[in-house]
Amino acid sequence: MDKLAEQLRDDAARIDARISDEFDRRVAASLEAVNHEVPNAHRIRQRPAAFWWASSLTGVAAALVLISLINSRPQVEDMPVVSPITSPVSVATIPSIDWKAESAMLTRPLQRELEDLQADLKKAEEKVKNEIGL
Amino acid sequence: MTDELHLIDAAKAGSAKAFADLVKSYQVRLLRFLLTRCASHADAEDALQDTFIAAFRYLHSYDPRWRFSTWLYRIAIRNAHKIRQENVVEIGDLSDEEDDPLLHCIAASETENLWVSARRVLNDDVFAATWLRYAEDMSINDISKALDRSDSWTKVNLLRARKALDAEMNRENNGKEAYG
Repeated sequence: MDKLAEQLRDDAARIDARISDEFDRRVAASLEAVNHEVPNAHRIRQRPAAFWWASSLTGVAAALVLISLINSRPQVEDMPVVSPITSPVSVATIPSIDWKAESAMLTRPLQRELEDLQADLKKAEEKVKNEIGL
Repeated sequence: MTDELHLIDAAKAGSAKAFADLVKSYQVRLLRFLLTRCASHADAEDALQDTFIAAFRYLHSYDPRWRFSTWLYRIAIRNAHKIRQENVVEIGDLSDEEDDPLLHCIAASETENLWVSARRVLNDDVFAATWLRYAEDMSINDISKALDRSDSWTKVNLLRARKALDAEMNRENNGKEAYG
């Protein structure tokens, strides 16, 4: 501890702060008076047991009302069935779109895969033709 | 759990006896501080009594993450300030040395008590910060909490207070040497 800190600590200890008996009695009396107030203050914050029962019953009643409301709504089977579209959509009605765009990089591997498969298919076809003597 | 926390828990449960034990362990320390902050011994005692009553009344709101002394000091500082405002007496206005409770309570010594110099050269909050640091050995964080200030405010002002008090101490020592 440095000199200044030491002197400050020593000088603080040199301040004579005696507590008189009269002060002790005053504080004790004040605390006793507050002690009677404090439990009352705490009691105000506490709810009676009936409050918790009432709030629980209210919650249960609300839940029951909600459940009955949900159940009273039309069920899925009660709802009108929408007939599916049976007539085929005419291909001619679909306008052809002239895409003026290059294939994206992501489709290139698929395109190559298709070409390879077509080449394999052609090879296999030729092999079969050779074997059967066509 | 320390004895102090046991006492706090018991006092929270309504034990006036437990709180009286806490009062006994803090009353002298707090009164020393309040004597430096109030215009008279009676005011210091009033501030101390108000501090303990407020602490007991609001003990249920005490957060154990704080040191109990930090919490008490915070209340004491507020009460001292309130009492001084009510009396409209500034510490610096005490021209009659016999009225000054601090001078009255300092044991006779060759050197001036450094807290008297501190009170002269430091403002209220800086004085309180210096007291909490050197008389109570509180951490920067606790001092900041007690004074409701930032840590950086506390650090900077403790440094300034040190410089001012160092200068006071040197001035007094030099004066003594010159006189001798």
